[in-house]
Amino acid sequence: MKSQKRLKLLWLQSITCNGNTHSFLNHPDLPSILSYFELVYHPVLETAFDIEAVATGELECDILILEGSFREEGFTRGRVEVSHLVETYAKKAKYIISAGTCATFGGIFKAYDPEYISGLCFDAEKRTERYEMYAPKLISLPGCPIHPRWLSYILMMLVKEKPIPIDEFHRPQELYGITVHTGCTRNEYFEWKVDSKGFGLKEGCLFYEQGCQGPFTRGSCNKILWNDTSSKTIVGTPCFGCTEPSFPKTALFSTKTNMGIPATMPLGVPRRAYLTATGIAKSFRIKRFEERIITYDR
Amino acid sequence: MIVRQLIEKIEGEAELDFTFNEGKIEDVRISFGFYRGMEEILVGKDARDALVITPRVCGICNHAHLIAAVRAIENGYENAGLKVELSNKARDIREFTLACELMQNHMTWFYMTIVPQLEKLIGEASGENHALKASYFSSTITKAMSIFAGQWPHSSYAVPGGVTCDPTYVDVMQAENLVDECIQFFEQMVAGIPMEKYLEIDSNSFLYDIDGDLGRVLQLMGMNAMADMGQSHDRFIVFGDTILSKPGKSIGTTVSGVDVRYVEESIQSGTVAKAVNYKQKLYEAGPFARAMVAKEPMVKRLHKQYKDSILTRVFARVHEVALLLKHSKVLLQDLRLDESSCTLSGDLQVEDFEGVGVVEAARGSLIHKTTVEEGLIKNYEIIVPTQWNLSHGNDRERGIAIEAMVGSTTTEEASFIFRTFDVCSVCTTQ
Repeated sequence: MKSQKRLKLLWLQSITCNGNTHSFLNHPDLPSILSYFELVYHPVLETAFDIEAVATGELECDILILEGSFREEGFTRGRVEVSHLVETYAKKAKYIISAGTCATFGGIFKAYDPEYISGLCFDAEKRTERYEMYAPKLISLPGCPIHPRWLSYILMMLVKEKPIPIDEFHRPQELYGITVHTGCTRNEYFEWKVDSKGFGLKEGCLFYEQGCQGPFTRGSCNKILWNDTSSKTIVGTPCFGCTEPSFPKTALFSTKTNMGIPATMPLGVPRRAYLTATGIAKSFRIKRFEERIITYDR
Repeated sequence: MIVRQLIEKIEGEAELDFTFNEGKIEDVRISFGFYRGMEEILVGKDARDALVITPRVCGICNHAHLIAAVRAIENGYENAGLKVELSNKARDIREFTLACELMQNHMTWFYMTIVPQLEKLIGEASGENHALKASYFSSTITKAMSIFAGQWPHSSYAVPGGVTCDPTYVDVMQAENLVDECIQFFEQMVAGIPMEKYLEIDSNSFLYDIDGDLGRVLQLMGMNAMADMGQSHDRFIVFGDTILSKPGKSIGTTVSGVDVRYVEESIQSGTVAKAVNYKQKLYEAGPFARAMVAKEPMVKRLHKQYKDSILTRVFARVHEVALLLKHSKVLLQDLRLDESSCTLSGDLQVEDFEGVGVVEAARGSLIHKTTVEEGLIKNYEIIVPTQWNLSHGNDRERGIAIEAMVGSTTTEEASFIFRTFDVCSVCTTQ
């Protein structure tokens, strides 16, 4: 099973909150996944080498994981520019994984210095100078933070040498081919256009008032649950679109509307089609969707 | 002689410059490299976007940032004349999810930093995979948390007036089962005795005799003349109101009140980390401070013998997990689900306000201050716990962690003392 040589994994951090690191550490099967790899360096776990050894540029590396927003100059690890370390290890690596939205598109930290801070290969939607160089090896796993299982699945796919079809931002289609809306427990309310009457209710869809971006955000948050348990939209928090190059937008807790209709349509759905379907759905008043699912006797 | 050392795996990196004199450390400069500009990023955003953005200050104490951010808005509403009354349910769910993060942070630090670093320092490897234990506890307790918060890290489920979740009794029961699993972990791995027995311990000698990894760490420190090591100014401060402690400061045997208005931030040369003091004095923040202010008997007893040494500091952090596990059970058992989850409607209620949100995060008091004009953030300030413990100090006295390291004979020993504060580099360089 593990007869083949273990792939050497080097996890490097750039401008980050460490959220991807900690998200991954929460993976319930962490030990068995890691057993397939030789952990050259990791920002938290005990590893064979320390950051100063990484900084020499002399270690071996098969998979380079980059966490955090990228800038060409001005951010060091182990007293060496991260851009230099990336360059060194990206050359050696067979695969480069940009872990999280910061490393992929620039994310939250881009806003502080938008001209100089970006993702490694994408600056929001645009390709960076480094794109051409790394494209053949690049797998993007955006999400703020990264979903631990998404990362583990891709790592295991690399071990097993399975095909990983990707989209234009190099996001694996298996994980990002569907929207966050898929699998949301509030789907019935979306179908019949019943909005949630506020926060803190299990009834109603959050797309119409509360700012939910699930119908136009790519990701499998509601297929592969968070912490193997739940998701933002299941509990009642809107999706903030954190896997997309546009993250973070503003006014995240309210839906932008045009003439009372959400300004952004579900992914790929023409406005006319949406309006027609909405008109039909809204012409019915369905009692069940106006009631509470559970009523407690006081 | 100055020896420069790079400290890593502390949620980032820090550079420590140790000044040695006659074989002993006389002074330490702590510097953090890169400022990420979180406070600037927030300016101009919708007031409630802070609930999404500020958790991203820190991948490990993100939930505390969320709670501080929501409290800052609620406090701002109140200052503007709008009464905000949370239901008991919303308040207790917030307490629970915050407690989960504290426990996750403490156990991760204990198993991924303290145990391996202590083994390395004294050259006594157990050969055990401590990271595995950390990972088990972490994934279990964050599961319990995400039943309410949807996910960890980076939930934004606390909104002005309450929480976004609307749990069922089946949800609550699952959370209780997960807390039970964590209690079992604590009994079997950490303390080596049943929880009730552990909480009844009434002597330091009995504490030394417990099995489990906590007992082993205490014994190793004792046997290697480390029990008295790492003492600092013996002053503690807590600003947040929690299930375990009220705000206050502890100096010697006296506990007295505090007012967040007297917290003062200042810029330090050579580092992007800002210093922070209370009425010109430096205080230690964190679980140790919470235990001292709350006069927690087991911590007080150790403190009587070893003062604010690394032994007491390490114990206080692990002990807080036991206290939180016990309180979490009560919080969940008492939840009344027919109460409202959120008492305010979904829109921003007030357009102009100033508010302060205070929370006890894993590493101590975390303070958010927001100024909102016409619904947009005009100014945002974040004071993080690590600033309390790692400030350089002033003309009169050294910073808390620096004072603790002074007198050490090796950089390895001093670095270990440094790590007992559970340093968070990312928060400090927000």
